[in-house]
Amino acid sequence: MSIPERSLTVLVAALGGEGGGVLADWLMHAARDCGFPAQATSIPGVAQRTGATTYYLEIFPAKREVLGGREPVMSLTPSPGNVDVMVASELLEAGRAMQNGFVSPERTTLIASTHRIYATVEKMQMADGRFPEERVLAAAKQLAKHAVLFDMRKMAEDNGTVINAVLFGAMTGSGALPLPRAACETAIMRAGKGAQASLRGFAAGYDIAAGARPPPALSPRPPPPETREIIELGVARLRDYQGEAYARLYLERIATLGNADPELVGETGRQLALWMSYEDIIRVADLKTRRSRFARVRQEVGAKDGEPVIMIDYLKPGLDEMASLLPPFLGRRLLSWAGARGKLDAYNVGLHVKTSGIGGYLLMRSLAWLKPWRPRTYRYREEQALIERWLAAVRAAAPGSTALALEIVACAGLLKGYGETHRRGRSNFLAILDDLVQNPAAGDAAARTPAIRNAREAALADPEQKALEKTLGRPVTWLRPAKSR
Amino acid sequence: MERSFATEIESLKLGEGQTFRGEGILAVTKALLQSGVSYVGGYQGAPVSHLLDVMVQARDYMDELGVHVEACTNEASAAALLGASIAYPVRGAVTWKSIVGTNVASDALSYLSTAGVMGGALIVAGEDYGEGASVALERTHAFAMKSSLWMLDPRPSLPVIVRMVEKGFELSEASNSPVIVDLRIRACHVQGEFRARANRPAALSTRHRGAAAGFDYDRLSHPPAIFRQERLKVEVRLPAARRFIAEHKLNEVFDGELRELGIIVQGGLYNNVLRALQLLGLADAFGASRLPILALNVVYPLVPEEIVGFCRDKRAVLLLEEGQPEFIEQDVATTLRRHDAQVKLHGKDLMPLAGEYSTEHMAQGLRKFLAQHEPRLDLPGGGRWLAEVAGVRERAAKLLGSPLPARPPGFCVGCPERPVFAALKLAERETGRPHISGDIGCHAFATFEPFSMGNSILGYGMSLASAAAVGPMMAQRPLAVMGDGGFWHNGLLSGVASSQLNRGDSVLVIMKNGYSSATGTQELLSSPPPQARDASGRSAVHADRTIENALAGLGVNWVKTVSTYDVAKMKRTLTEALTTEAQGLKVIIADGECQLERQRRVRPATARQLAAGERVVRVKYGVDEDTCTGDHSCIRLSGCPTLTVKDNPDPLRRDPVATVIDGCVGCGLCGENAHAATLCPSFYRAEVIHNPTLRDRVLRGLRNLLVPA
Repeated sequence: MSIPERSLTVLVAALGGEGGGVLADWLMHAARDCGFPAQATSIPGVAQRTGATTYYLEIFPAKREVLGGREPVMSLTPSPGNVDVMVASELLEAGRAMQNGFVSPERTTLIASTHRIYATVEKMQMADGRFPEERVLAAAKQLAKHAVLFDMRKMAEDNGTVINAVLFGAMTGSGALPLPRAACETAIMRAGKGAQASLRGFAAGYDIAAGARPPPALSPRPPPPETREIIELGVARLRDYQGEAYARLYLERIATLGNADPELVGETGRQLALWMSYEDIIRVADLKTRRSRFARVRQEVGAKDGEPVIMIDYLKPGLDEMASLLPPFLGRRLLSWAGARGKLDAYNVGLHVKTSGIGGYLLMRSLAWLKPWRPRTYRYREEQALIERWLAAVRAAAPGSTALALEIVACAGLLKGYGETHRRGRSNFLAILDDLVQNPAAGDAAARTPAIRNAREAALADPEQKALEKTLGRPVTWLRPAKSR
Repeated sequence: MERSFATEIESLKLGEGQTFRGEGILAVTKALLQSGVSYVGGYQGAPVSHLLDVMVQARDYMDELGVHVEACTNEASAAALLGASIAYPVRGAVTWKSIVGTNVASDALSYLSTAGVMGGALIVAGEDYGEGASVALERTHAFAMKSSLWMLDPRPSLPVIVRMVEKGFELSEASNSPVIVDLRIRACHVQGEFRARANRPAALSTRHRGAAAGFDYDRLSHPPAIFRQERLKVEVRLPAARRFIAEHKLNEVFDGELRELGIIVQGGLYNNVLRALQLLGLADAFGASRLPILALNVVYPLVPEEIVGFCRDKRAVLLLEEGQPEFIEQDVATTLRRHDAQVKLHGKDLMPLAGEYSTEHMAQGLRKFLAQHEPRLDLPGGGRWLAEVAGVRERAAKLLGSPLPARPPGFCVGCPERPVFAALKLAERETGRPHISGDIGCHAFATFEPFSMGNSILGYGMSLASAAAVGPMMAQRPLAVMGDGGFWHNGLLSGVASSQLNRGDSVLVIMKNGYSSATGTQELLSSPPPQARDASGRSAVHADRTIENALAGLGVNWVKTVSTYDVAKMKRTLTEALTTEAQGLKVIIADGECQLERQRRVRPATARQLAAGERVVRVKYGVDEDTCTGDHSCIRLSGCPTLTVKDNPDPLRRDPVATVIDGCVGCGLCGENAHAATLCPSFYRAEVIHNPTLRDRVLRGLRNLLVPA
């Protein structure tokens, strides 16, 4: 038997608590059972607290007996370009491995799960801060010598086990390891506890990587709805929100755009439908007491048939919510009184409403039943006025520049959330509408378009409003790009 | 403690000739027992925590062997423990994370090494340097030199590590000096095997007690003895150590055919330099290298004869020494100059001045070295590899488009410390952001998103002390954050006592989670009593009042204990502490037991109850996707791994909605934040009743008459 020139190297990128250490143990046991010299190292440290961490192994694929007493010298750290099997328990970590040069087209079999666990910086953004998955997938297919990519978390859940078992199976099934299946399964069985579930997960991963069964089907994202669909969805939404007449108002507003660019009509229709169905206390109470909502919560918390689920909603209505239900003259006075004294958030009452109980349910339903009163409220009047102002700006811009009009439309996306978040979004929206849309310093549409986009992105990039204040620092220069975080 | 070492304890009992399998730091532990130690101590910290953890858990077996195990409150007390070996012929070992632990221990180390030891004294230092490091990056080597401690840096192979520990004790005794065994992170965690020897009970131990030593002034590090002791260090102990190192061949020479060149390397880097040579085509997989190598398993002191002997007849040597300053290189250069050896010495001129020496760095350095001194040598493989690596990285960067978001460690799911920072973020809206003085411990995760808090970190337990001069200059009081671990490690004296003496006016938040959590939930003086730790999973830390009593004893009057999960109350208390007229130190005790420890109790208990068919109420929080508007302000106040985002199910919306995924332990922070910050009405708490009783089912039936739940 010829003696191989070098060790086979395996790098496992995992997140704390995913069983990466156990996976390394399995590999060590399997290698030892085969009589192969092997070594594993890791840098657990504090990374075990939910951070990204790695395990590194080397296996010398020859039995000790044939080595004549010589012992291979194995490296303790992975080196880029020298990884035979790169394993990532999550898609972004596969990307990180590629970024660091650990996936080489000459040598590396990449085994990665395609599910995402978002990093805090991705999920904390005001809008959508998620790293584009398709870029990682495309890079994986191009950079790896052979790539095994499927949703291993799903596979693990389906088999009642942890992702490390599926990863182990996929590694073995890919043929990249010098370890026979039996040795790997023996290593798992040795662990005893949970071994049966691990073996199921292992088999699933093995079969998929070996091509013996198809990977779980990806549920592709539905394509964004087209203009016609958007308008239909908008009509349905507003009919549900406030009735037939309100839905007609929506269509009339769309009609004022005339024969503008279809994309602009679609985007306006989308933002308008969302804005017109603004979330006031009536809407929230209505949504929270629907049959579909109770069913969804039961499913989300994994309640089985026959298991009662008590649902408690966290509500904290205050002056904003109160004013929004009052007639315009009262609502306006209440809010200007409170605003002048800085008391807008002073009178919120924290409620734990047991919506699944009879009392809580009736309380919520009675709020939802206020729906016919809504058109007479202060909030309704305010929203409709601002909608008209925004639509007028869109209509004014559309004939000159669709791009500019689209930017103005997108600003409505700043209006979201509740309470203080909503107030902040609204003040950002108004600042942009005042300064850049209706009183632009100078410049044609080509200059105003990026200015509005920058301001909007600044408002979204930094919810604490620091970036926007800097960008808005008067005299206004809107050239600075939004700070990427 | 976070981890059970039941299996590892068994491998500590292995006898003569049996094969030990396990990680490096446990091999060291076994080697201590094989060397007949009488006592072991230390302070936990990666990468050496396991040494002490396993010994604490193996207390029965240690009693059997007569080994005293001391879980010290800091590294200074651990270093002082070695004082037992000054006047008694007993072997002892202590361990800690270095550089930080060595810093804390340094006072006692100076006195220990000045007096000198009779019994072997070993310090197992976990060199937390390079990838994975969590402390200031400095070299332990400097301490070895200034205190005349001999320093071993063994090749990362278990038999070598074990031999070095055993020889380390002998070296210590032969030269009357303490010895440091320095182990890098990966060497501590490397999995390997060695042939065990039987454990050796000590002559003087907890099982065989002796009488107190007689008075001997020469053993005191006190004038006038210190003047003689300093001379002894260099005139007697150093030569004795060098003799021992040379006689026992602790350093290893590996010959190679290119005899006119050579590599001198720290033992710990040996495997990686071999890999670099292999990639350049200059070595095989078994360590046979064309370039001769001197592997320094002892990096201090060097043996001049060995250095000169290795360099004799060589044109040039490359010294591979990680970190800075380049102490070994300076030492070698002086030696060569004194011996008038004409070899050309390379080191930091070809290698990075700072940072870890990766295989890639070493291959690059070797290439430069060989280009100068053996240009005819053909290194096609190595050149291709280095170019390829650069190319692959470039391609990856292009395909990925932008750098990937970082994923630093963070608070665990349900961590009791997270709500404190949520409350602080809310309090700041009213008070303005104060100067925040950070510390070492899990709470340092608040320096990362979404909190991004902290103006300085000055060491373990140092937060309050490091704010002492800030307060008098600021319009607003500074706020210091400290864990209970840090409080007992150093904070009580360096921080609280000093503040009391100087009538400081800062705010101190003590995270009372009950354990030294970041290092593996080891016990503290204020850990909750065992009977308070019940299976309900309720926080047990209120059952111990040692911290409160200590503060009262030092005369701190303004002390408020607040449950961490009560965000609104925590916010009010923080605001009050930052703005009150009351002068003097204000302490907020953030009371909430480490969630890891609670879940360790709850999980098995719940599983048992479910299996037995008992009624179990499981709490999970959630977000209503149709009222969530996707602004993620809840996430900016939390950062909990289970509070995340998903595609918006509403076809008209684009931004992802918040969602709570499996793994939520029902700590309640989401709901508390939603209330305290008046966020949004989307949060709900769901209580799922498993194995419902008849009463539960009847009640549900009645409710369902009206409510479609």
